[in-house]
This record gives sequence, C-alpha cells and structure tokens, in this order.
Amino acid sequence: MRPTSLAELRDAVRDTRGTLLVKGAGTAEGWAGAPDPTDHMLETTGLAGVVTYNPADMTVAVRAGTPLSALQQELAAAGQRISLDPARTDATVGGLIATADSGPLRHAYGGPRDLLIGVTVVLADGTVARSGGHVIKNVAGYDLGKLFCGSFGTLGVIAEVVLRVHPLPPASRTVSIPCDAAEAVAHTGRVLEARLEPAALEWCDGELLARYEGLESSVELRAAATPGGATLSATEADAAWRRVAAVPDHELVVRCGTRPSQLPAVAKHAASMTSSTAVGVHTLAVADVEGLRAEFPQVTLMAGEGVPAWGEPHAAVPLMRAVKQRFDPEGRLGPGRYKPWF
Amino acid sequence: MSLTDLRDELTDRLGRDGVITDPAHLRTYECDALTGYRVVPALVALPRDAGEVAAAVTACARHKVPFVARGAGTGLSGGALPVADGVVISMQRLRRVVEVDPVDRRATVEPGVTNLDISRAAAKYGLYYSPDPSSQQVCTIGGNVAENSGGAHCLKYGFTVNHILAVDVVLPDGSTTRLGGDAPHQAGFDLLGAFVGTEGTLGIVSSVVVRLLHTPATVRTLVANFDSTKDAGDAVTAVIAAGIVPAAIEMMDNLAIQAVNAAVDAGFDPDTAAALIVELDGPADEVEARFADLTRLCAKATEVTIARDAEHRAKIWQGRKAAFAAVGRLSPNYFVQDGVVPRTRLGEALTRIAEMGDAAGIRVANVFHAGDGNLHPLVLYSEERGEHERAEALSSAIAELCVELGGSLSGEHGIGTDKACSMPRMFSEDDLATMLRLRAAFDPEGLCNPGKVFPTPRLCGERPGPYRPHPLEAAGVIERL
Amino acid sequence: MAFDVDRALLDECVHCGFCLPTCPTYVVTGDEAESPRGRIYLMDLATRGEAPVAGPVTQHLDSCLGCLACVPACPSGVKYGALLDSARPQLDREVPRDRFFRAAIFALFPYPRRLRTAALFGVLYQRLGLRWLTHRSGLLRRLPARARALEGLLPPVRVKDLLTKTEETGQGRTVALLTGCAQRVFFKPVNDATARVLAAEGCRVAVPKGQGCCGALSLHTGRDEEARSFARRTIEAFDGYETIVVNVAGCGSVLKEYGELLRDDPVYAERAAAFAARVRDVSEVLAELEPVAERHPLPLRVAYHDACHLANAQRITREPRDALRTIPGVELVEVPEEKICCGSAGVYNLLQAGMAEQLGRRKAENLTSARPDVIVTGNAGCLLQIRRYTEDGQLIMHPVELLDRSIRGTAS
Repeated sequence: MRPTSLAELRDAVRDTRGTLLVKGAGTAEGWAGAPDPTDHMLETTGLAGVVTYNPADMTVAVRAGTPLSALQQELAAAGQRISLDPARTDATVGGLIATADSGPLRHAYGGPRDLLIGVTVVLADGTVARSGGHVIKNVAGYDLGKLFCGSFGTLGVIAEVVLRVHPLPPASRTVSIPCDAAEAVAHTGRVLEARLEPAALEWCDGELLARYEGLESSVELRAAATPGGATLSATEADAAWRRVAAVPDHELVVRCGTRPSQLPAVAKHAASMTSSTAVGVHTLAVADVEGLRAEFPQVTLMAGEGVPAWGEPHAAVPLMRAVKQRFDPEGRLGPGRYKPWF
Repeated sequence: MSLTDLRDELTDRLGRDGVITDPAHLRTYECDALTGYRVVPALVALPRDAGEVAAAVTACARHKVPFVARGAGTGLSGGALPVADGVVISMQRLRRVVEVDPVDRRATVEPGVTNLDISRAAAKYGLYYSPDPSSQQVCTIGGNVAENSGGAHCLKYGFTVNHILAVDVVLPDGSTTRLGGDAPHQAGFDLLGAFVGTEGTLGIVSSVVVRLLHTPATVRTLVANFDSTKDAGDAVTAVIAAGIVPAAIEMMDNLAIQAVNAAVDAGFDPDTAAALIVELDGPADEVEARFADLTRLCAKATEVTIARDAEHRAKIWQGRKAAFAAVGRLSPNYFVQDGVVPRTRLGEALTRIAEMGDAAGIRVANVFHAGDGNLHPLVLYSEERGEHERAEALSSAIAELCVELGGSLSGEHGIGTDKACSMPRMFSEDDLATMLRLRAAFDPEGLCNPGKVFPTPRLCGERPGPYRPHPLEAAGVIERL
Repeated sequence: MAFDVDRALLDECVHCGFCLPTCPTYVVTGDEAESPRGRIYLMDLATRGEAPVAGPVTQHLDSCLGCLACVPACPSGVKYGALLDSARPQLDREVPRDRFFRAAIFALFPYPRRLRTAALFGVLYQRLGLRWLTHRSGLLRRLPARARALEGLLPPVRVKDLLTKTEETGQGRTVALLTGCAQRVFFKPVNDATARVLAAEGCRVAVPKGQGCCGALSLHTGRDEEARSFARRTIEAFDGYETIVVNVAGCGSVLKEYGELLRDDPVYAERAAAFAARVRDVSEVLAELEPVAERHPLPLRVAYHDACHLANAQRITREPRDALRTIPGVELVEVPEEKICCGSAGVYNLLQAGMAEQLGRRKAENLTSARPDVIVTGNAGCLLQIRRYTEDGQLIMHPVELLDRSIRGTAS
C-alpha cells in the first residue's frame, strides 16, 4: 500500500485487517532487528512534499514521506536548513523520527526530537491525531511527537511533521586533532572550556573533528584557536565528514548512549566508530554486541543479522509496554519489533 | 476507606510534622501563583526524600485518593491547584543538590532545588543550567520538568526538555521508574521527552539529572526604545531575517515598563512606547560582529542603551524578570496569559489585543519573548470593582486569539486549570483522546493531578463547545478527517 | 476575637512567591505557612474571619523572625514590616501564650540595672564552676529548650565591665551614643570601642543620662504600648542632640521608626519624627567622616555577617564593609547564605528556641566554612547567637571593635 494523501493513509490503515509494517525509504532496514512478518506493508514515500513553509517564522510543515535531502534543498533556496545531518540523507523525515537518527550536528542541535514541534499520526485503528503545532514555543497538551521518536513504527504511522529550521551558516571550518579515545575526552573538555562553541564535535577512528559554523571571520578565528588542532581545507574537511558518515556501513553496527567520559570504555569494543564526544552518543561497528551490552544497557542495533535486537530491558520498558497497549491494543503495527521486551 | 485512614497511614510513614491537617494551615496550600482558582486540599504531605514520596503516593493509591504534586507554588496556570478531598504532596523538603559532575557536565538534584540554585552550584566549574524562567530564583526544577519551562533565553538554548538527561519518577501506583539515561539516546520510545511538560499528570519526579553548559564567552546586551510596538516588532523581524539567532529578545510596552520601574531601578525609559531587550552570547568575535549588525538593524530605535557591565546587565534582567509581580503595583489583581503566535503575526496580535482590551474596558500590559512569539499579556483588573468576570473572559479570548492566528494556547506556563477549557479550540476530540491514551498508560486510575490540562464537564460546563475548524484547517493547510 | 490587618496592605501581595527562598523559616521547614507569602495569607484569613486567630495563625506568625529579608525581594513592594507591626500587638492582646516566660523576659531585659544584677549572678555561676557542673552532669540536656537557650546565650562578662560606665570623650562634632540595655551590660566593651573610634575620628561622644531600653525588644514582640513608653523616655533623654549614634542594629532600626511608632501621640508625634531623622548607625557616621586616625594593619580574614536589622530594615550593607576596608590587610571573605538570618531576632531565640537553634547552627557553619580569623557583626543579638554556635575560641566582635584595635595598634 502506498497512500499519497492523509485521507488515503487513514483509509489504508483503517480499512485493512491484520498486521502492518510501516516503511519509508527503506534506508534503515536492519535497524532494531527484524519484526515478525506482517500481513501488509505500508509505504510512506507517497506522502511527500512541503505543506507550508514560511521562512520568516522559521518553521516548516512537511509530509513524512519526504526525503530529508529533498527538504534540505527546498529550504536552502531560502537560506535555511533543518539542523539534522544523519548519515542516511535519503531517509524520509518520518523515518528519521521513527528511528531517532541524527548526525554530528546533534552536538549543538540535538536530535529529531529537539527539532520536532508538531506531528500528525495515524493510529492502528485509523484515528488521526495531532499534537504540538506550528510554533516553536508550545506546551499545550502532551507532546506525542517526542513519544514517536524512536518508536520504529510501532505506535502509529507518522504522516506529517512540523520542524523548526535554522539559518544556513555563512561559513564553516573543520579542525582535526589526531588522538586516541582517552585523549579525545580531554581534548573535548578543552574545546568546551575554551568556549569556542563548535556545531559538531566528533571523534572518529583516531581523529577528533570540530566543525565551526558562523561568520567567515569568526569560524577562521575559532578554528585557529582550537587547542592542538589543524584546520582542514574544504576538500579535506569533506573527506573527514564522509568518513564519519561511512561508519554505519559495516555488517554489525550499533548506536549507544553513555556518559561522555566513558568513550574509551566503549571504544574498546569498536572496530570502527564515531562519537559525539561531548554528548556521549556513539555509532560503532562491533564484533561482540553482548560484551558491549554487558557494560552499557542503552544500545540500539542499526545493522546486523542473527543478533538480538535489544539487550536487558531497561527500567522504563514496562511503561513502554503499557503505552504500546494503549496505542495499539491489537498489536497491528510492527509486531515483534521489541522482542523480547514485549 | 476514609481520608482518616489515609491521614493515619501518611502520619505513620512521614511523621507528625510531615502531614498537615489543620484547616487554616491547609488553606495556605489552596492555590499557586494563579490566585483566581482556589481549592482546599484534604491533607498536605511533606515528604523528605524519594522514599517518602513513594510512600505517600502508595498510600494515596491504596486509598484511591487523588493527589497533586506541588513545588514552590509559583505556577501561573493553576497546575498545583489541589483537588477537593485530595492530597497535596509538597516537594519542598527535597532540596538537595546531590552531585555536580563537571567532567560529564551534569548535575543530579532533588526536585525541590530551585532553577537558579542549580546554576549557583555549578558556577564554580564555569558551568550553568540554561533554561531561565523569570521566577528562577524560586521555581523548582521539578516544576520546570512538569511544565517544560522556557524563559527568556530559550530562543537560542531551548526548553527544559532539551536539558534533562534523566528523571526518576514515582508512578501513580507508587512504584518508581527511571526515564532517560546517561545520554540523549534511548533504546525505545522517547518516554522522557514525552513526560516533560505533562504538568504532573503522569507521575511525580523524585530526582532529576540535568545537562550543564559552559557559561558563554561573551555576552552583549542592549535596550532599544521604539515609538510603537509595531516598530519594535519590525526590528525583531529584521534581526531574525538577518540570520542572527540572539540568546534572547524581549519586549515590554509602556504599561509594563511603568510597573517595572516602580519595582527595580533598571533605567528603562518611562516615556517610551516599547522597549526591546536584545542579548547576544557566544564566542567573542562572532558576538561583536553580530552586535554591530544588531545595532544597525535597530535603526528605527529612538534610543539604544548598551549594558555597561555585568552589574548593569543584571539590573536590566532583574527588571524584566520582576515584570509580572511588579504589575501588582499598578493593579490589585491581574491574569497573565501565555499564548504564542507565529512571529510574523506578532504585530497583528498586539493590535487585536489592544482592541479587545479597549472594548472590554480593561487595561492590558504586554511583556513577552518577542523572538519566539510568546506573548504575556497582563490583564489588569480589580476584584473589588467587580471586574473579575470581564477580565477572565478577556484573558481566555486572548489565548484563543493566539490559536486563531496559528499559534498556541501556552508557550511555557502550561495549560493547568486555567486553559483546559480552551483546549478544544486548538485540538480535536481525536487529538485529545490520543493524548489521553498516554495518560492512561501511566495513570490508569486517574489519581495523579486529575482535572488538569484536559477539559472536563465539571470544569468547563456540561457540554463542551461545538467543534469549530482550526484556522489552519480553514485555510486548507491541514486536513481534518 | 477581632483581628484586623489593613486590607490595603494585604492586597499588595500578588502571591508570586519571590519571597520564599529569602525566608529563613521557609528555608528550614519547606512549609508554605512558614513563608512570608503564607503568613500574609494567614493574616488575610484571620482578618476575614475565615480562620481563628488562636492556633496556626498565631503559631506561624510567632515563628516569623521579623528579619525582613523578604522585603527587598518582593517585586510588588509589600510592606511586610508594617504587616507584622500591625499583627503582633493584636496577637499579644488577643492570644495569651507564654505569659509567664514573656513576663519574665520583659521584666528583666529592658532594665539594665536588673540585668546587671542577673549578670553578676551569671558570673558567679560561671566562676564557681556551677556552669561546668550543669554541663557535665547532663542536667543541661534535661532542661527544656528555652532554659537551654538562656543558659547557652550567657556570654562571658568581666565583673569590671559590669561595674563601670562608658565615659564621654573626644572633641569635635557632637554625637550622642545610645548605650542600650542588654548592650551596655553584656557588651560594654563594644560601647567603649565605639566611643574611642568616634573620638579618634574627630567627634565628641556624649553619653546622655537617663536613657534606658529603646523599646526594640518590646516592639518586635508585639508589646507596642510598652515600646511607646520606652520610646518617649528615649526621646526625652536625647533631647537637644544633633546626631544619635547606635551600634546595635535592632535598636537603630526601631529608633528610625519612632515617627511611625508615635504617630498617633499628639504630644510626641512631631518630636519622634524629628528624632528618627537624626539617628545613625555607627557605620553610617564613619562613612560620613573622612578616616582621620591612622590604622595599623590587621592582616586578617574577616567574615562580615549582615545583621537583618541593618541590611533589610535600614538597607545598610555597604557602610560597614567600607569601614572594615579602611583597615590595611583586612580581607573580607565571602560567606554562603549571607542573607539568611542567624536566628537571634531579638528575643526570638528565647521564645522559639528550636528554630533559632537550627538557624544558629546553619549560620555558624556558613560563617566558619569561609575560614575566617574573625567574625564581625553590628548587632548584640547576633553576636550572642553566633558565639553560641561557633567553636569556643572563634573570635567574634562588633566591626567597631576591630577598627578600635586597628586604630590603637593593639591586638587585644
């Protein structure tokens, strides 16, 4: 099924029986393990395009099946962007939210949940529900959008989202500091204490990269002031960030969240990794997932077969189960996605 | 099971001085900073630690008595309004800063710690806690989590939800769970993100881990006076259009300035129609360059004052943050609203509000976060002169106007009691019903701060108003099915 | 029982809560009724007749220190001092409590001669080892909190100080020194030092006869008529003097309020207002004068404690610090929670011993955490309270005593 409007989507969900798997561009297949086989597949790529965009308000409403890259192109024409740079640029906006994926810009801007200000979803029984709105500052009602972040299509189908946008920075510079994991922690502290405010601070396989964004004069100065760093040329910088984006292209990849100072302990498990060092979010190619899970519980599988998708249930899993029960009592959407938790 | 049994159980677990039963004493808890609504609780519990909080909630759950968590009682939407025949669980004895971790830049605190005390505890490491509601010297982090509080600097830095790493929550059945983790990455749904801002209806926070930032390298602040709020609003638009993201942009109109001047000597011009406070922060050279742009963009300002030093800057903010309460000098009573409009419709909103105020014969002072369109109209009235109902109606009308203009009922104060009846203007029945599913997952018995956020027949009259199309729907921008 | 506090004063409170974190009793208990906002609420309920005056209303108003820290913090400008001054006398009249204890306190403290006698007995108690015995035998622990409080507050006094008076001294601008009641008995050295320092800076210090208690203790406990009679006597005793100088914060703040206190007295109203305008704290006088006398260096870490009735009631925070800074070598150290009252509050530490103890310990901890060589504060009550809860051997004195030592070049 490939609906092309909200009404069609609602009908598709409501008027079918049996289980459903929601699929966007399919760039995250293999994430979060394999759900059970379903009766139907529902593709969201037909729900594409910008709904409203007012640059002066710095918000954009877009259909969930829109690829991020297409959206970024449209915003760039007005000198703006979504400050989200996941490795999977062909992913749909809805897919990025469902997988809670993000890239190095998470250092300054957070992840999709920090950029999401409104959402329209279709629940398993065909209910269409909205939360949030079109303004950045909004505490009216519950924020269902955040609930759907990381839900992997098990709570409902994300149909439309409203995102906040930022101005495209006029210039950027990237600095490279070759170092090991332990040194990276120390360097990170130094960069932060120097208050240089990088937009991204990423340690990738022996290299700490700091990207500065802003006015030309400013990024030049801040790059030069980075302790222990060498400013890269534009080509070198591109290559470096492409290396970062390439880390997930391995057979067994996970993402996990830890205290930033635990970077060395995580790195021990990694064949290749990239880490937002000030934030403590790591993407790594591992050999032994169980070993990693023994030390760190919040691990999400991004790629890999024959490996349990989830480790020990964390404290909030019973609540997850309760929420799933309320949103999808018949278990139609992505059944088995969270095995063995529920 | 009667309330007496509950009282005995609570006294057993919390001690005699942990439970309030005297009628006069109970009345001091009958409202928060929104004094328009008052309900006397049956009991007030004052637990001293997370264990006692859980014990109190367990007792309430066992006896099926509803309960309301209360922080400092500074909320402006009646979120801490007690439930009749219910219990108020005051969190004010949980006030320890448990740990400040300068290496991983975070702090673990009990929910009764004030917002400002977190920054004070972190100051010696050059760190601070960024969201800064104007009541930050007294409001608590637990309350901030409940309301997803913002403040003047949320334009650049975000809201409470963007700065919380984890919370321990006592669920309405008395059990305790932990939402979030060591980093902004969860395995599974973002329950933490969903929880922040649910106004105490899903559980009681008993511990909070907050993210700390390094204090900015440079801060530059200016106050610009304008001949009209429209001119001021245009300046704001120009600043944003130039790609500048200020740390804060605030606007005050003349009436608000008069109130502030009576309370704080911050040097605001009592004769100007509108004043803008604009602050930039960040790396030195970027700030200086942008500041030069900024002063140019305030070309239509009649006067621009640049803060001389940290003390001057502190005075300016002290003045702005005292604005609500200072208004008490102008008028014995007031309602403060919290609506948000898209920034491009700010001027329109102000004009309409002025018209509505004139029509009702009620003065409205305006203080607000111009950068994100979050208005705080202060509806001034006199209880004694019988203006309460007119003022309340005007106040609700303003909130609903914001929705009409494509915005929101509340930017930071929360829906609470105050705006619950207006929720159907902004959300459909299906929207609200879906949100209630989340509530049911946490609180199936409906004991945790019931009657807040969502309209109820008892609160809003027997029949809620007929459904009217949302303005964006009328404009064909969104579809309702 | 009619209880009536001015509606206009009550209505100034908008219930915003900004006062809460400044209130010592709120900081200790976390209970709304122990905050200024809560107390105003209770006064309001009682005035409307919606709550009985006896019971929690009285209890929570009694537990208020009257430190007025809430006043500078209030954006609406609530005149909390006026509210308290209106409420307390009514409580005193309508709700008899601690009658015996209060009668005893007020039969003793405001009368220097009686107090001197009691102090002499106190000296005997200490010298003859009775104090040692009381502590050692565990008897102290078994005394009720109030008796413990009294016992603990006994400062060390020298018999010599009990038997002599502060002398007039110096030449130049005349200032008349208020010697106080408890002050002149327990802190005569402070009065002597005050006279010496002012003389050294070019003043003629007069010590008018016939002065007694200024009425502060009475007023702050709600015994307003008693306070008025003390006030009249004080005005008479200081008739003709241009400047009245005070070295006790509590006294100074009440002297400056004599105009308010006697506003309904047809005979004294004008004189009281004129008198009030001529009152100065010793630090204010020193701030007006150019430092003339040479100061010898005292390289000391000094922790200055703001007495509430200087900082909040009189808004004097800069002058004492400036005066201390004229001493070469002095380093004023930062003290945590410096705005939270020490718990002395007149005779509060006798009437509300439990709360006063908690606050006293907290203050002592905060002060000693700054590792000072000497703690200074401009109020007799605070000196007693802080001394009670700090280590024996910790140097505590009035700022003017430190100045005196610096000018005289002596360490003692």
